[in-house]
Amino acid sequence: MVYNENRSQLECRIMKNILSFLVLGLLPGWLIAQPSENWTEVNLSITDGQVIPRYTAFESSSAGLAAAAQALCQATNAMNLENARKSFHASMDAWQQIQHVQFGPITYFNWNFRLHYWPDEKGTGPRQLDELIAAGNEEVLQSDNFSRESVGVQGFPALERLLFDDESLLAFREDRYRCQAAQTIALNISEIASGVRQRWADEFRTTIANADERGFFESAEDATIDFLKAQVESVRRIQQQKLEEVIGESAARARVRRAESWRSGRSLRNIKLNVMALKSLFNDSESQSIELSEVFQAEDITVINEAFAQLNSALTPLPDSFEAVLMEEQGHEKLLQIAAHLDALFEAFEAGLKNTDLYLGFNSLDGD
Amino acid sequence: MQMKLDRRQFITLTSGLFSTSVFTVASASSLKTPVFLSAASDGDDNHWVIGFSQSDKASTELFRHSLPGRAHHIAVHEGLGIYLVIARRPGKYLWVGDLESGEPLAEITLPADRHLYGHGVFSADGNYFYAPENAWQMINGDSGRVVVWEVKRADRKTPRFSMTRVKDFPSYGTGPHELLITSDQRTLVLANGGIRTHPERGRKKLNIESMQPSLAYINAISGDLEEQHLLDGQYHKASIRHMDQNQSGLIVVGMQYEGEPFDRVPLLVTHQQGEPLRELWAPEPQQGQMTQYVGSVRFDNSGNYFAASCPRGNMITFWEAKSGDFLRSVRSRDGCGLCAIDNGFLFTAGTGRITYYDVRQDSMTSLDSANSGKVFWDNHLSVFAS
Repeated sequence: MVYNENRSQLECRIMKNILSFLVLGLLPGWLIAQPSENWTEVNLSITDGQVIPRYTAFESSSAGLAAAAQALCQATNAMNLENARKSFHASMDAWQQIQHVQFGPITYFNWNFRLHYWPDEKGTGPRQLDELIAAGNEEVLQSDNFSRESVGVQGFPALERLLFDDESLLAFREDRYRCQAAQTIALNISEIASGVRQRWADEFRTTIANADERGFFESAEDATIDFLKAQVESVRRIQQQKLEEVIGESAARARVRRAESWRSGRSLRNIKLNVMALKSLFNDSESQSIELSEVFQAEDITVINEAFAQLNSALTPLPDSFEAVLMEEQGHEKLLQIAAHLDALFEAFEAGLKNTDLYLGFNSLDGD
Repeated sequence: MQMKLDRRQFITLTSGLFSTSVFTVASASSLKTPVFLSAASDGDDNHWVIGFSQSDKASTELFRHSLPGRAHHIAVHEGLGIYLVIARRPGKYLWVGDLESGEPLAEITLPADRHLYGHGVFSADGNYFYAPENAWQMINGDSGRVVVWEVKRADRKTPRFSMTRVKDFPSYGTGPHELLITSDQRTLVLANGGIRTHPERGRKKLNIESMQPSLAYINAISGDLEEQHLLDGQYHKASIRHMDQNQSGLIVVGMQYEGEPFDRVPLLVTHQQGEPLRELWAPEPQQGQMTQYVGSVRFDNSGNYFAASCPRGNMITFWEAKSGDFLRSVRSRDGCGLCAIDNGFLFTAGTGRITYYDVRQDSMTSLDSANSGKVFWDNHLSVFAS
């Protein structure tokens, strides 16, 4: 539903861009808008229009998840399990729409890893969760103690493992500690979400507003680069980590269980929400505020928007899970196509950045 | 062990080997001291060596020359008035230029079965050059090697100088990276990064789970191992890569951790020969913000302090050498190259920015470097003070 709304927004935006293109072609050069270099204005607009509202939504939905998990343990029945699963989806929906911001408070106290330890190539999280539940130590589940446990048991993947098993209800009924562990993880997610939102609103917004060489950032432009990295590097991460690692070279080589959120059947839903949020970060047809597209040249904005549109058109009709799409005729080819569209989007960003004075990094990307 | 020289290995370098350069901004007569040297690249995958000078608030590009591929560190031979650019792994070239004019002098290519690791050092007397290499075909043991080049001054046969491979001994580890030579010229100090790579696999790391970095002290004449130090076993994924030494022989070592991003591991150690390694820790949140990666380390001119750059964490950290205490950090987007200058450091960044930081006054000055154009400074910065 959320995604469909975005799709219509996207279509509006494409029309707007087509019109812009036509109009720009008729305007004298001096009237054509130049890329913004008012970095603080861009940064604060994104902070207030995107980041803080998305963290607020994450905080709110995660509070709902904590409450639903508590209710499940108080009355362990099918309805409460279903409610907990729905709340998990709501919280994960919100997280996936702000996951691309990997700077600022989310990096404090290892919050990003504690919230979502993935990929977990060695299966560390499930092994540690099994050990934790087998030990049944009540003290471990105290909030202060739990935050010091391994990141593999603290966040979404661990909670998903407990909630989305065919035998979840029976297992919770037979082992009260198992449900308490789920409740503790949900509360932990909620506390982290609240902490991140609060730090952004109370502290990091001020850091961004006052970005100069005397503070955390070198300059306001330096802060803008963090937003650009959130935009561009996320596209590559989705392509390589969330998609290509899973789908392989053929349907027979696909490894669905490598995917993010495969147990809850929402791996592709995550990608759809990521792309939707990235599009909003770049530009949003309904927003009157300044967006990240402001730093690009007009012709590059057109190319990037077109790349987003192609990607969105291919993503929207797909179901939410990899398993479901791989059962469709030509399913694997469709996923390869998504990877190609993500690659094209990344290339469009790269080309666009070359026409700005902004550098995302060099030594930090491939050091030695 | 003196190696018999292969005729092809005897490489004579002569001035004027290259007839063209891309452009020269300043003439030799306008060169001022000190001269800074760094490898750099641009957005179109062109690679350069750039020399520049620095005044209070500006840097001035003195020369810029195209390189055959991405480079890493630049070694300076003041006696011969040359600089030597070392290819980044898995590159195979050594590229020599004139310190005064910046002009290219020669390019040396390694044997087919070897590549460089981006670092090398001249002995203090200038008679030898040492560089780590990868002999990747040695698959059953450590493939790290140290090659000794004899450097000879001009004579009738060699109009400028000559460099000849004369010795080749083990680094006593895999993936050697930066190396130093002690002030008495008797001992080489090697950072064996521990990571196995193969040129056919590009820069892919092939042995992370079993990697074993080490700090090795090697007799510079015989090639014998004198002393070797390993990190605590739990830190075996901390690749020992970059080093500097101060006037009292204290070595500072910077590491790059290949394990989980949330693990807490030391990223710096100091070492005095004959003693155990000393782990250094920054307080939180700085330790976490170093993001498991130190790109370069350099002592200041007094030797009492050192800087460690963290390009992934976008910051430079400063430490007291003797106590090992963390002092402070400053923000530097993609900042990596470091050089001691005056009362502090000059640092260069992948963004193209050059900054002077005064340690005593805790003040930063971003240098106007408009004439450098759109370049990304590579990881290391060298200086030549005539």
